Amino acid sequence: MTELKPYRLSDEQIELRDAVRRLARERIAPRAAEVDRSAEFPWDNKELLASQDILALPFPVEYGGLGADLLTVCLAIEALSAACATTGLILAVHELAALPIVSKGTPEQRQRWLPDLAAGRTLISFAITESGAGSDAGSIAMRATREGDEYVIDGAKRFITHGSIADLVVVFAVSDPGAKRHRNLSCFVVETNRPGFSVGRLEHKMGIRGSPTAELLFDAVRIPAGNRIGDEGEGFAVAMSTFERSRPGIAAQAVGIAQGALEFAAHYANERIQFGKPIAEQQMVQGLLADMDASTEAARQLTYAACAAIEAGDGDAARWAAVCKLVAGDAAMRVTTDAVQVLGGYGYLGEFPVERMMRDAKITQLYEGTQQIQRLVVARSLLGRS
Amino acid sequence: MRIVVLVKPVPDTTGQERLGSDLRVDRAGVPAVVNANDEYALEAALKLVEAAGEGEVILLAMAPAAAPETLRKALAMGAQRGVLVTDPALAGSDMLTTIRVLAGALRRLEYDLVIAGADTSDGGGGVVGAGLALAVGLPYLSYAAKIEPSADRVVVHRISPVGYDVIESSLPALVVATQALGEPRYPSLKGIMAARSKEIVTWSLGDLELGDLAVGGAVATTAVVEAHKPPTRAATRVIREPAAVAARQVVEFLTDRRLI
Amino acid sequence: MAGALWVIGEVVDGHLARIGGELGTLGRALAAEAGLNLVGIVVDPAPASAAGELAAFVPRVIALEAPQVADRAAAAVIAAALIELVRVEPPGHILLGATPDGRDVAGMLSAALGWGVLVNAIAVTWADGSPVVEMSTFGGRLLTTSRFSGEHGIMTVRPNAVTAEPAAGSGTVTPGLAGPSSLPEVRVVKRVAETAGTASIEEARVIVSGGRGVAGPAGFATVQALADALGGAVGATRAAVDAGWIPYSQQIGQTGKIVKPALYVALGISGAIQHKVGMQTAETIVAINRDPDAPIAEFADLFVVGDLFEVVPALLAALADARPRPD
Repeated sequence: MTELKPYRLSDEQIELRDAVRRLARERIAPRAAEVDRSAEFPWDNKELLASQDILALPFPVEYGGLGADLLTVCLAIEALSAACATTGLILAVHELAALPIVSKGTPEQRQRWLPDLAAGRTLISFAITESGAGSDAGSIAMRATREGDEYVIDGAKRFITHGSIADLVVVFAVSDPGAKRHRNLSCFVVETNRPGFSVGRLEHKMGIRGSPTAELLFDAVRIPAGNRIGDEGEGFAVAMSTFERSRPGIAAQAVGIAQGALEFAAHYANERIQFGKPIAEQQMVQGLLADMDASTEAARQLTYAACAAIEAGDGDAARWAAVCKLVAGDAAMRVTTDAVQVLGGYGYLGEFPVERMMRDAKITQLYEGTQQIQRLVVARSLLGRS
Repeated sequence: MRIVVLVKPVPDTTGQERLGSDLRVDRAGVPAVVNANDEYALEAALKLVEAAGEGEVILLAMAPAAAPETLRKALAMGAQRGVLVTDPALAGSDMLTTIRVLAGALRRLEYDLVIAGADTSDGGGGVVGAGLALAVGLPYLSYAAKIEPSADRVVVHRISPVGYDVIESSLPALVVATQALGEPRYPSLKGIMAARSKEIVTWSLGDLELGDLAVGGAVATTAVVEAHKPPTRAATRVIREPAAVAARQVVEFLTDRRLI
Repeated sequence: MAGALWVIGEVVDGHLARIGGELGTLGRALAAEAGLNLVGIVVDPAPASAAGELAAFVPRVIALEAPQVADRAAAAVIAAALIELVRVEPPGHILLGATPDGRDVAGMLSAALGWGVLVNAIAVTWADGSPVVEMSTFGGRLLTTSRFSGEHGIMTVRPNAVTAEPAAGSGTVTPGLAGPSSLPEVRVVKRVAETAGTASIEEARVIVSGGRGVAGPAGFATVQALADALGGAVGATRAAVDAGWIPYSQQIGQTGKIVKPALYVALGISGAIQHKVGMQTAETIVAINRDPDAPIAEFADLFVVGDLFEVVPALLAALADARPRPD
């Protein structure tokens, strides 16, 4: 087991973070309530992220990206999520879904797909989950059958973020039914304009309502063998390796949501007069806010340090990814719930943003691996089991 | 299409501006931002160079030595390079000296257009542009809502009290920008990263060949002798009544103050 | 004795702009305090009318005929004429309006003559042989008093800082001819009017402004109706101008105009700092807004919590009732 080392934000990271914060405050935040109310994907926000090069952050420079490290990407996700969790998720999903191509793709595959992604011209989804395979990724049923130079993909994926708007979907399917569990999966990129691909149901969700969550149906979809990422049977390993870099992104989203709730609650407490003075002068309110601040800051520091360690190739990367997502997700839920509490009855109303933030926060305890799965990962590392 | 944009770093207006003990603006401890109106000038220049398909936007500022960071923000918006005129001797300079020094700098640059912002939030009065045009001998086109350069002339829509006048002159010329030219862009992340390696040249007084022009606080033609906060307004009277009742109370209020 | 005090009147549609009377009044007060000669100057293709109007405020007016102003940007022509005149009879100090043309001329004069310039004055007095100029700076958060270091200076004065008061008698008008301008030429191709009325909003004694709460160009009809009833001009915040509901010439605020009317009525305006800077020195501020926590509530004199589309019609009715009926 390794230890986390101190990290330091460079001047450039601070500049980039501040630029995203300003954009979030001035352009994204004013739209957040409407995005939640309408449950419509904010294409204008996505265009803004693309035009400001924010979607280019996670991609290598040679494909038009900014070559930013994991911590920098997370700084941007956090800043966006403080204004609008749905919009923070646009960057987070863009980063995580493309990870297989970025890290395991051949030069030809990277050249084929990454430039459009870096420019924000195309969107991409990560499709591993099925109705019968959530936490239990080993139970995937989707089939990829080799036929000459092609694979035929059959099956359905469920709960896929951006699945209904993506141009590319990264799927994990059984390519070798006879192989052992965990060695029977392969990873493929499916362009959504191929015949046989369709979008099934769209989910109605508690939070991140502007983010479309879709069922994706693959009915004998043919893809060239050149769309396979990595070797046959490597699918599970590819999926697992992406978690190291995707889970911190969700941790960052959670920290951002918590920060947004904390700031609003503190501002409200200074303005709301009861018993002749601002409620900020009541000790119980101060106590709530102090605990919220402590939780948020602890989650933030752990996330940043984890990002730095993962970027440096730390041997315990899986543990760091899991522990920061675990702590940040729980912090976001606690902080947003307390934010509603600070506002009292008004916190329950749609007129104020904290109830939306509380509904948004819940997902950070559920996707990218439930908190229970994160705990298993941490325990495994701690107890020396694998 | 080469355009020089005059940029002035000023204290952030939402901050705690202070006058120093000599009653000049204390720029030291306060974060500097690019003067709001200069961003409109810069945006207009960037759009013109983009439309021309070639050329460059050069920032020109006269400011204390700490200014390069503020110029970086403007470079991040897309200007190609910056020129900073800075010299300890310039501390405390008045508007006239600013005009003369900037004129000296412009004489060392080549350009088709100079674009300046309409006013500065830290005490300027919108006069530097006009004085600078005269000092350099450029046609002066102010309060521009639209700028349309062509090969050797420029057409400007100058805002008037009732609309606008269409005015035109030969190039090179000096134009003063207004907000009507269009919202300044956010610096993109690529712009921010590129700005770190863009060139900012610093010129001291000696580089400007101004002869023995006297500068600085000692020869300022004006001086602040006193400063104080304005008297606070009396407490607000709030009316929370149905419209008809509120209206009557407003009329009473206005009548009492002899406004109607 | 200090040199003469010049007051530069602006001409709009052949008549003296209101700032001219204000500057003339201020000039008279200073000249009396300091024992100075006071001269008003008007530069225009047909200056006689405006010069006559300025003569109601100052003892002597020079009416310089400058045919070029008809199709040239005025500032350079006026500045060139004044620079020539300075050579002939140099004054001590020059007063101009802090208006677009006034500022342009002031800047040119400063550079040409090497004289200092103090801008956006809200009050000018005289002490120890030279002007004492009070200005509002830093978005209105600070009032500063400044002086000139030497014997000469140029001042631009905010509209509405002084109330125009004609003198007891009428002054003389001396006609003259401005020579051709030596400054680089800027030609006027055409003039386009977008609003009715000729006066700049900075001169208005009453301004009724609309902001985001007006919610559209149709809403500005309500703003206009109240402005008409109060005898005022229509202003706007940046939000309304950016949304295209009203031209930029009506914008008040940090990147628009700074105004100091006797009465400022803010309809559906939150009062954010960028707008506040443009109107906070108005003598009386009345605001109508649905949001009781709007920042403008902190600095308005009278704040009505309500929907402007209900309150303003009621106000129009109440105003009509209050007016004495013609016999």
